[in-house]
Amino acid sequence: MHGDETSVAAPGPAAAAKPMKTGSVRFYLTNEFGLVVLIVLFACMFGLLTNGRFFSAFNQFTLGRVAAVNIMVGFAMMVVIVTGGLNLAVGAMGVCSAMTFGFLVEWAGLPWPVAALAGIALGVALGWINGFVIVRSGLHSFIITLASMSIFFGVMIYLTKAQSFRAIPPGFSAFGSMRLFSSVSPLLVVAVVMAALLVFLYRYTVTGREMLAAGARPEAAELSGVRVGRVFILCHMLSGALAAVTALLVVARTGAAIPSMAGQQLGQDWLLPAFLGPVLGGTLLSGGRVSVIGTMLGAVLVTMLTNGLLLLQIGEFWVQACLGALLLIAVLIDLARRSYLAHRRMV
Amino acid sequence: MSRMVQTDWFGPLAVTLLAIVIIGAFNPSFLSPLNIQVLLLAITVNMLIAYAQMIIVAIGQMNLAVGAIGGLAAISFTGMMQVWGLSPPVAALLAALIGLGAGIVNGCFIAITGISAFVITLATLSVFKGINLAITRAQPFYGVPQSVKDFGNTTFLGPLPWLVIPAAVVFVLMWYLLNRLPLGRFILAVGGNTHAAELSGISVRRTVIAAHAISGLLAALAGVALVARLEIGQPTIGDDWLILSFAAPVIGGAVLAGGHVSTVATLLGVIIVAIITQALVLFHIDPFLVQVVLGLLILWAVGINRWREVRVARSLKRI
Repeated sequence: MHGDETSVAAPGPAAAAKPMKTGSVRFYLTNEFGLVVLIVLFACMFGLLTNGRFFSAFNQFTLGRVAAVNIMVGFAMMVVIVTGGLNLAVGAMGVCSAMTFGFLVEWAGLPWPVAALAGIALGVALGWINGFVIVRSGLHSFIITLASMSIFFGVMIYLTKAQSFRAIPPGFSAFGSMRLFSSVSPLLVVAVVMAALLVFLYRYTVTGREMLAAGARPEAAELSGVRVGRVFILCHMLSGALAAVTALLVVARTGAAIPSMAGQQLGQDWLLPAFLGPVLGGTLLSGGRVSVIGTMLGAVLVTMLTNGLLLLQIGEFWVQACLGALLLIAVLIDLARRSYLAHRRMV
Repeated sequence: MSRMVQTDWFGPLAVTLLAIVIIGAFNPSFLSPLNIQVLLLAITVNMLIAYAQMIIVAIGQMNLAVGAIGGLAAISFTGMMQVWGLSPPVAALLAALIGLGAGIVNGCFIAITGISAFVITLATLSVFKGINLAITRAQPFYGVPQSVKDFGNTTFLGPLPWLVIPAAVVFVLMWYLLNRLPLGRFILAVGGNTHAAELSGISVRRTVIAAHAISGLLAALAGVALVARLEIGQPTIGDDWLILSFAAPVIGGAVLAGGHVSTVATLLGVIIVAIITQALVLFHIDPFLVQVVLGLLILWAVGINRWREVRVARSLKRI
């Protein structure tokens, strides 16, 4: 057993006849194992370098809060990467949902659970628009979501006049500052529950298996009776819902719905964390293979590195450069790992 | 006539002329010298940005780091003049070299590892942007010499800004590269069919690196030109280039899968975007809507391109 790697369509004939001899090597070469090792290593390093401040209850709490958002944004991207596409509009969709939530609780006076559901529904609707246009036009999701991120964000900024909604109900923002067992944020619990649901989706439900099959090889899936277009649209709707939940977590954390919460420019700031999690976790960019646990561990590693670099006061401005370099190193290691595995299988 | 209609530049040219006539009729100040000068300034910088992306679209890839390279070049251009006291031409040359180097780094990573350009340029985007922020600490450089400011904001022959001259040179060179030089043909061949290009003896690796180097150079030039125009070395330069850089080539009929771009039509795409942005300002439409219009323009353009592709495929089938 190795993590919860879920894949359909084994890449090559040799993989079908997995030799037992290389089983343990395969385990040590999984992304999940590598990530756990890295997380433990860096945690020890930061703990020593900061005299234990890294492990303080408060730091663990803030770490969990940020990690929850990074995990969720990684999931929002992962569910679309499954189709072999991508969704540049995660940030824009998330902000749209969060602003709708803010508007509904502040101006319409709705109770927050209703408003949150409405925000998520908007995310699903925006995802449906993306998916529908992509499937119907047959164009690559890159260009469609590039255009839609501009449109969604532009409409949102136009309607809100770039103003924030600050009257978030205390019940909702308390959720963001609450601490369970003095160091665990409920936001992290939300992310973990989502992860469990996604694992269940991809392992045990027909829809999840169809998503993987359609992503791995659309033509083959179509021939075996999967309605590929509908499944792709579903993936984009799921991405919209997850992006909306992410944005709501950010609202709970900051206590306000701010138009620039995903970056000044079209929500672009979410793109790097959104890709870091899945890519570090071993999700194939060409589609058909996901690793929910890997995405989660990847996001945790990224959050930890950011937090540690800030605690060490290396310079807040270098953090972004470090994260970019991390993504580069991650894809290079992934490449080396895959070529090693391919080599071993040949032997 | 029907051949002309099928070219890439015919549609955008018709839209451009139509837009000029309609907007000019409704609002005569659109054709005033001052407005033409503002338009030309916007077009020169945006053309460089669009070409930086177009050359990558030509090889069937994408470069998310165009803005980050431009921003890095812009702040190093101003920084070198302010902190080291270099003369503007030397600083501009060094900034262009930085852009070239950044492009080569992108190209090498993509060509040697074979990892998708999207992931590599997403990573280098934040590396370059991070270096930018680490140098500037998010504060702008104000020490732009008067000569540079003059170059960016004065005109000759009526409303023609000086910045038009380097832009015109780049336009001619790009046209010559893509239509007459072996390297340009190699780039298009690799974009059209990488495997076939490799089999016919083109070094795909070297071509990809060259395309990214050119892209980096053009992005750096755009950054330097923008500093001359804004008279300030902003660390935020380049943040909003992503949509723009794709909009113009796509409006100009570029095929995102690679192998087909048009220098002239991309310039027309830049002009259309500039005219529409300007029209929104002239008619007092909310500037926030510019983003929406850009997004819709991209969708409209890819829709048209797609429709043309389908039609061509059908007519081929009939034969």
